[in-house]
Amino acid sequence: MATHDFLAHPLRHHVNRRQFLTRVGWGGLGATTFVLARGRRVSAQPASPYPDWIPPSPKPPKRGGTLTRASAWDPPVLDPRLTNSVGLFQIASLVSNRLLRYPFADEAANTTDLTLKGDLAESWEGNSDSRMWTFKLRKGVKWHNVAPVNGREFVAADAKYCYEAYAKEGVQAFTFGEIEGMETPDKHTLRVHLKSPNTMFPQNLAEAVTVIFPREVLEEDGDLKKRMVGTGPFILKEHTRKVRAVLARNPDYFDKGRPYVDEYTILSTPDAATRTAAFRTGQSDFHWVASLSDVETILKTTPTAVVEEFKFLQTPFGLALAQDRPPFNDLRVRRAISMAIDRQKQVDTVYEGHGILGWGIPYIYFQDTKPTAAQLGPWWQYRPADAKKLLTEAGHGNGFETTLFYYEYFPQMTSQVQLVQQDLKKNLNINVKITKLDYTTYYGRYAEGKWDGMAWGFKTGYAVSLDEQTYQYMHSKSTKNYFRFADPVVDELVTKLRQTPDRAEQRTITKKIFEREHDQVLRMWMPYDPGFLIWHPYLRNIGALAIRRSDGYGSSTLARLWIDK
Amino acid sequence: MYKYALRRLLLAIPVLLLSSLIVFGLMRVMPGDALTALMAESGNVGERELQKLRAELGLQRPYHEQYLVWLWQMIRLDPGYSIFTNEPIAVALKKAIPVTVELAVLAMILGLAIAIPVGVLSATRQDTASDYVGRVVAVSGLSLPDFWLGTLVITFAAIWFRWMPPIGYASLWDAPWKNLQQFLLPAAVLGYRLSAATMRMTRSTVLEVLREDYVRTAWAKGLGGRLVVYKHALKNALIPVITIVGGQLGTLLAGTVIVETIFALPGMGRLTVEAILFRDYPVVQTNVMLVAGTLVTLNLLVDLTYAWLDPRIHYR
Repeated sequence: MATHDFLAHPLRHHVNRRQFLTRVGWGGLGATTFVLARGRRVSAQPASPYPDWIPPSPKPPKRGGTLTRASAWDPPVLDPRLTNSVGLFQIASLVSNRLLRYPFADEAANTTDLTLKGDLAESWEGNSDSRMWTFKLRKGVKWHNVAPVNGREFVAADAKYCYEAYAKEGVQAFTFGEIEGMETPDKHTLRVHLKSPNTMFPQNLAEAVTVIFPREVLEEDGDLKKRMVGTGPFILKEHTRKVRAVLARNPDYFDKGRPYVDEYTILSTPDAATRTAAFRTGQSDFHWVASLSDVETILKTTPTAVVEEFKFLQTPFGLALAQDRPPFNDLRVRRAISMAIDRQKQVDTVYEGHGILGWGIPYIYFQDTKPTAAQLGPWWQYRPADAKKLLTEAGHGNGFETTLFYYEYFPQMTSQVQLVQQDLKKNLNINVKITKLDYTTYYGRYAEGKWDGMAWGFKTGYAVSLDEQTYQYMHSKSTKNYFRFADPVVDELVTKLRQTPDRAEQRTITKKIFEREHDQVLRMWMPYDPGFLIWHPYLRNIGALAIRRSDGYGSSTLARLWIDK
Repeated sequence: MYKYALRRLLLAIPVLLLSSLIVFGLMRVMPGDALTALMAESGNVGERELQKLRAELGLQRPYHEQYLVWLWQMIRLDPGYSIFTNEPIAVALKKAIPVTVELAVLAMILGLAIAIPVGVLSATRQDTASDYVGRVVAVSGLSLPDFWLGTLVITFAAIWFRWMPPIGYASLWDAPWKNLQQFLLPAAVLGYRLSAATMRMTRSTVLEVLREDYVRTAWAKGLGGRLVVYKHALKNALIPVITIVGGQLGTLLAGTVIVETIFALPGMGRLTVEAILFRDYPVVQTNVMLVAGTLVTLNLLVDLTYAWLDPRIHYR
């Protein structure tokens, strides 16, 4: 017998099976206590010593210099009709403009300032039922002075052509598909007729992904994959895939005197350690950092660096359940699962105490302060005993088998998935078989929406607008409703929200949507930490704003950045 | 020898055909396609639009038709376009191949410069301190993974010397100094890894050859130590080493994705892996065929080298 052999071994004779198991047990308990104690200790500390808002520099801006950033992303293609990849929009946001935009770092009142500003449009207004929107365009705007547009004037017909192309095919089809028709009464006026009222339509035109491209390129090339031409502050001077993108200052930019820097080089650097090394050695001027401990490590070698915490507004990832079929179509099962997951443990361990418990709609759209754990509702509290009771009531007292597939967007995600697996096994006897997939397989399966069991779900990363965050992500008919829920109350609320012009009333409705979502556990949000932006002290007006990272979808703010050297 | 080479080249045809079938089949078995990857993070593409775009890209044609079209393109040496980027594959290869070849050649030179002398030294001074050091170096090289070594090298260079290779590939012809700075560390990391296996093989084969009668005769004739080791022993000991080096070179030319990723070099490894992740069928298929062709050629060259190294070997 194995036990006999084990006991017979002269070197191990003094430890019997019982002693061994006892020691392992105490050791395990000790290790667990240490980990938990460490976690709780971290969570008891202030969330972060770094500000989430750095006001604009009061000094007069200086012209010149070259800005460089080592970037994780490479644009898959240059065609904004075909992808919403951040790799593309870190460039497109600076080469092109939209009709409207959100405030830049040097003009925002605070990090959550989402006041709409004119970009290519100077003013805009809707009619009484918000089905018709009129945009007065800025005069004297010129396309870049490169072929095939050669600096010709930007006119309303350009915006019309572009929106029609977006509606026709590609990733913007759902957003622009709500346009019934467009008119251009004169060169600088665009009138948009919608199929149904939408008071928030202008917000959708301010999303980073709705850049205006010239018709000539699409007509000459048949697509927009080879060239990127726009009206923006920078001209795309060079794009070598997997090497670099070089953006040169546009001397004819309509915002006179801007941008301040002569050139912005984005270096394709897929490895995180290499990007950090690039920042340390000054090859990269600013850098995104995932965790508090990483920030501290960098500051040891680069103590003058400036750190900004990304403001916690929302979480983009959560547990998605196939809730159109058993057992997840049973509300009790969803609630039980949600209560069986210890989210605080994830925050404490995986995110080093720096993270949020998780909610989907950015809270600034319905309240002034970050939701407390209690505000997330009873089903979001960690109550394993109640969870077990509820699951038993639902007829699954012995648990069940299910699957979970995911793609590891960042290393912490795997730990989170495993913690969820452990919680569900321990508290509900639900056996979760985890499958880690490559991005394309994951995305294909997830977006197709025919999967069983569970997925580690997401909502798209670019969205700022309330319409995108509610109607477009939550309506049962939306192609962006990835979490596969169809709730008539939510459908009614998100539709009503679109028809409501009053801001205060919008907040009330949004709060109701938030509460309904949490009560019905429609999207089971998980903890998240958006990380930090770190830069060398000579950069001015680089600060990121809420839901707009200046190294990603919010990079248009770099038109206002200047180098103080 | 010419007949032998010709026969081997003819035999390569079924090998390449089989490779083409395998890679074509495997790519189709993988879930998702280029459009799925392209549309990622968007979510607002209706099934109708997707079908239309798939038809435009030829992804809905029957598999045999897709295979034959691609095979004909390969025969004409015109691999077509990337369905992901619309860039001609030949252009993408023209950018990636020089990077990989330069990295492979430099790594190989560095690897051999370490492996052969250390291997010979280890063998001729068996069980001495220098042998132990050499063996420890070799075992470390085999044990330390590229991703760890590469990350360590780049991180410590940044912390201790405030230096790292300049990011943003520059070609050898346009900016030779910058290029050399960019390639030195990755080539050293790869070369060290390669040298480990080569060094161990050199040591064991030199040890074996040193015990041969003809070497003993050479010693008995009173020849100098270096002459015996380097002229008589080493040349004969090199056959298994050349076999290993040939295989290593083939692997290097296929691309070294981890080192390329860490040092931000746009070589074949990154091109192929990205194409696999994005289901860019024509790019993956072309790259795999290129690698298969390279390996077949390298194997042939290695086999032909045997006769030069050992005159007793004849080809029929």
